Order: sequence, then C-alpha cells, then structure tokens
Amino acid sequence: MAQMWITMGPQHPMTHGLWTLRVKVDGETVVDTDAELGYIHRGVEKIAESRDFTQITPYCDRLCYVSAMTWANSYIYAAEDLLEVEVPERAEYVRLIAAECQRLASHLMWLGAYGPDIGSLTLMTWCMRDREMFLDLLQELGGSRMHYNYPRVGGVKRDIPVGFADRLIAKIKLFEHRIDEYEMMLDESTIWLVRLQGVGYAKAEDMVNAGVSGPNIRAAGVNYDVRWAHPYSVYDQVDWEPAVEKPTSVKGADCYDRYRVRMEEMRQSCRMMLDAIEKIPGGKNTNYANGDEMILAKAPTRAPEGATGFSHYECTRGASQFYIQGGGDGRGKNPYRLSIRSPMFITIPYVAKTMIGYKVADIPAIMGSFDPCIGETDR
Amino acid sequence: MGMRITNAQADSAAENAAAAINGRFGGSEVAATVEHHANALKMAFVRVSVPPQHWMAVAKHLRFDLNANYCSMVTGTHYPEGGDERGWEVVYHLMRQPVVDQAPHTNTVHVAEDLEGEDIPLEFEVVVTLPQTSSPSVPSVQSVWVGADWNEKETWDLVGIQFEGHDNMHRVLNPHDSPEGFHPLQKQHKIRYHDFNEMYDDAQGFGRKPTDEGRVK
Repeated sequence: MAQMWITMGPQHPMTHGLWTLRVKVDGETVVDTDAELGYIHRGVEKIAESRDFTQITPYCDRLCYVSAMTWANSYIYAAEDLLEVEVPERAEYVRLIAAECQRLASHLMWLGAYGPDIGSLTLMTWCMRDREMFLDLLQELGGSRMHYNYPRVGGVKRDIPVGFADRLIAKIKLFEHRIDEYEMMLDESTIWLVRLQGVGYAKAEDMVNAGVSGPNIRAAGVNYDVRWAHPYSVYDQVDWEPAVEKPTSVKGADCYDRYRVRMEEMRQSCRMMLDAIEKIPGGKNTNYANGDEMILAKAPTRAPEGATGFSHYECTRGASQFYIQGGGDGRGKNPYRLSIRSPMFITIPYVAKTMIGYKVADIPAIMGSFDPCIGETDR
Repeated sequence: MGMRITNAQADSAAENAAAAINGRFGGSEVAATVEHHANALKMAFVRVSVPPQHWMAVAKHLRFDLNANYCSMVTGTHYPEGGDERGWEVVYHLMRQPVVDQAPHTNTVHVAEDLEGEDIPLEFEVVVTLPQTSSPSVPSVQSVWVGADWNEKETWDLVGIQFEGHDNMHRVLNPHDSPEGFHPLQKQHKIRYHDFNEMYDDAQGFGRKPTDEGRVK
C-alpha cells in the first residue's frame, strides 16, 4: 500500500497542547514520525536577561500552566545556588507541601486529559472535581488558582494560613479514598486495559540515553528519583518512597505501567504531605508574619560575574533544570544567561519515535501516557 | 523514612571522577575540579573545563568509562565583551544515573546510603570555551548521547553555535523560515521595548503600507 505523510496537530486532541506530529503511515501502521515544536515559544530565556531575580519567578510559573509551583521552585533553587542563600527549614517544608500539592493537581490534570483520549469522559469530570480541592489549597498559599508566584529567593512569600493544616489533612484523607475509586473504575475496565496494555513499550536504558526522566523511567522498573539522587529540600526527613512500577515485559514499560506509576506517585505525595505537615518546624497552626525569619531568609539581589547557579528538580513530568550565569545588566541584578531544561522538550521527540510500528489508533494512548505539556516544551 | 545520597557519598564519587579525568587527560588543558553547590545541602559535583578539540575524547571517557549516561542540558552563551579567548561558551550538564534494564516482574531498589563507587548518582558540568569568532563551532556529541540531539538543535537555534557532525540540524523553537543567521540569544539582539529593530518589529503588520499608496484611486 502506498505510504503517505499525515499531519496530526497543531489542533488535535492527541497533542495536549500545540504542536505537530507528522506521521508516515502505511495503511493503519505508523512507519515514521517527526515532531514539530515551537508553536508557543515565548522566549523566556531572553526575557529573563532583562529582569531581576525576583521578577523572573512569575515567568517560570507560566512555563507550565498545570504545574506552576514546581517550576517556580525549580528556578528558585537555582537562584539560591547562585546567590548563596540558605533557606529556613520551615520554608523548605512549606515548599515541599506546596510542590506535592501541585504534583497531585498536575497528575489529576494528566489523568483527566488522558481519560477522554482513551474514551472515558467520566474520568475528566471526576479528576477536575478532585483537582479543585488542591487548587483551593494552593490558592490559600499563593492567592490564585494557577500561577502563584509563591516561592521567593530565601523562602516563601507568606506562611501557611491558620487552619490550612486541618483542611489539607481532611482533603488528603478524602482523596486517598478517591484514588481507590479511580482504580476500581479503571483497572477493571476492559476498554482501559485493552487500549493501554501492550502498547507503547519503552526500555529504561533507551529512555535514559535519550534524556527521558521522572515517572516515565520509574515506570520501567528503575528506582531513580531526583528527590533522593540529587537531593534538595527536606525530602530525607519525611516519610515516602519513590513510586516504581514492575515491568511485565522485556520490552520495557507500556502505557499501563506509566498510568500505574502516576497513581502510585499520587499516593506517595499524600503520604509525604501528611507527614510533613506534622513535622513542620514552628507548628502547623502557627502563622508567621510576612518576611519573618522563620519563612524568609535575607538574600542578596546581585550576583557577581562568573558565579553560576544550577538546580536539578523533580518536576511532575521529569527532571527540570535551570542553569543561571550571574553578572548581567544592572551590576549583576539580572542574570547574564538563564537556561532552562524542560523534560518534555526531550521526551516528545523520543516518544514520537517509539510510536513506529504501532497503529494510528494507538497514537493518542502512547502520547498521552507520557504526559506532554507544551508550555514547558516551547518555553 | 525518606532517603538521600549523603554529602560524603557525593564527595567521594566526585573526587574519584575528577581524579580519573585528570589522570587520563592531565597536561592537555583538560582540568577537572570538585565543586560544591552554594545552596542549603552543599552537594558536590565535578566541573570539567575542556578545549573544543578534546571534547569528543572527554565525552567518550565520561560516557563509557565514568558512566555519565544522561546528557540533560546544553547551554550556549555569547560573550561579545569576553576578550579574544572567550567569545562563546558551551556548558553541558551530564548526570550519572544508576540504570539497568529490568527483567520482567522485578525492579531495582536503590537504597541511597548503600550505593558505592560508580552507582552513586553524580553531576558533571562540562565547560567548553570558544574564542571570539563569528562562527563558533564544537563537535557534536549526538553519537555519544542520543539525548544531546535536541539539546544541540535548540542551542544552535537560539544561540547560533554550530555542532559539527550533527545529523539533521534544523530550527526547533524559532519559526522554520527565520532569516539565516538569526539566533535570538546572541547579545546583539535586544528585546523589543528597549530600542529594538529586527524581526519582531511590526509583527502584526500595522505599520505596513499598501503597495499603491500615494496613487490616485
């Protein structure tokens, strides 16, 4: 049969954003693919060169509109490395709780978007309902639903409000039951299993060589997580273990493994937050004033030329990294160069190649299982 | 209870790696040092400075002898005022990840405190400095790490550094029909609201005049 190129995207439900997957098909079989990115390139790296270190945080929020808090944190750790700031422990705990709340909200968004890809619209409505609980919590911290501008160089903008701890605990307890409900609905659904199992195999070794990270490699049976391997924050003090899935085939992880690993990761985030809120120094029902030394350390605003800062952070979709060189405009007030490594920018071209050999109908299932986000891909 | 790589583990891994690099490439302008991050945890990493002609050899050493199996990030920087010796810089961030392919129904449990030698995750920062030139170029390491492929595409697209031997180089973030030689992260390009000029000026076309302007209709 004649082969032909067809274009999926930029407007296609499979893309979860705005990019183009060009697929060469032979009948129903994919024989070659090509990814085209850059539709929403905003030039954040260039803009950052004319902003000072505090002003960059909101841009980093907007790198990924479903996991703003983790991206802002990721930037802040690099800025702290550059400016040589040590953060008060309470602020680290608050950041940890905020980041894990965001991880839940992001994974729920992923599950909610993945459901309709597979044919389960119910999932979308259920996940949006639960995601709202965590967005409400984040709103209490940052003041808005999606872009919080919450972490600061040296701490956080403001402390957790009084009563936040009780609401957090109540919502997590409720949500732990909700995860069981999702599993009842999905793991016993024939359609879900048939569309996910045995589709989209990816081997751990190949993925690491190609630069894929995060839940996608943990799905292939490798216990590797930035939170313990290149540690930051206080993850060593709270109770958790990395979510790892056992592969069922020598071919690596399939879509079902990647779904399982994210469900497990949500459980671990819940466990982590429940423990962290009890261990938080200063007490869970105390509210320190803005700028108190318990939540915000003094930080310099200028970085000398030649200084560099680097952060390696477990974002919701994999390892995000920032590399900042100091000594820019305004006698070091701005970065000279800020570089962002987005996990999805590397993952999407890799995933496009893994689709070769599968059917056209499998493309949404494979692509969705890697959790693409185009905001961070195009920067 | 959570776990993490301890500072002592990271220190020993970084020292071993730096000693291995210096032992092999000592005397050829390749220098590896152990550095520490300045934030709260002060983890160690290895900084390697390499002249471009030795980069390929060092890359293979890192990948195959020191098991740095993950090329996570490539950063290009333009220093128009950096002097003759330092006009451009390419920084590679590499990671060592203890990864193996899994047999079915098993998984690898890493207990951080028990990891030793080459199993300890480690971070490498490789700095390749290029002289002042209008056509900066370094060898491509696409053949060593598949993950370097799109990172190098991006670095060429945004900063304009050539990667010799890179297969299938093309624009990734800028529009595909961007003018040749337009690389927005070079320092001669300013953003629009500071006295700006080039490509994004009048992007909406409001300033454009009809071709028959001035003629009587």
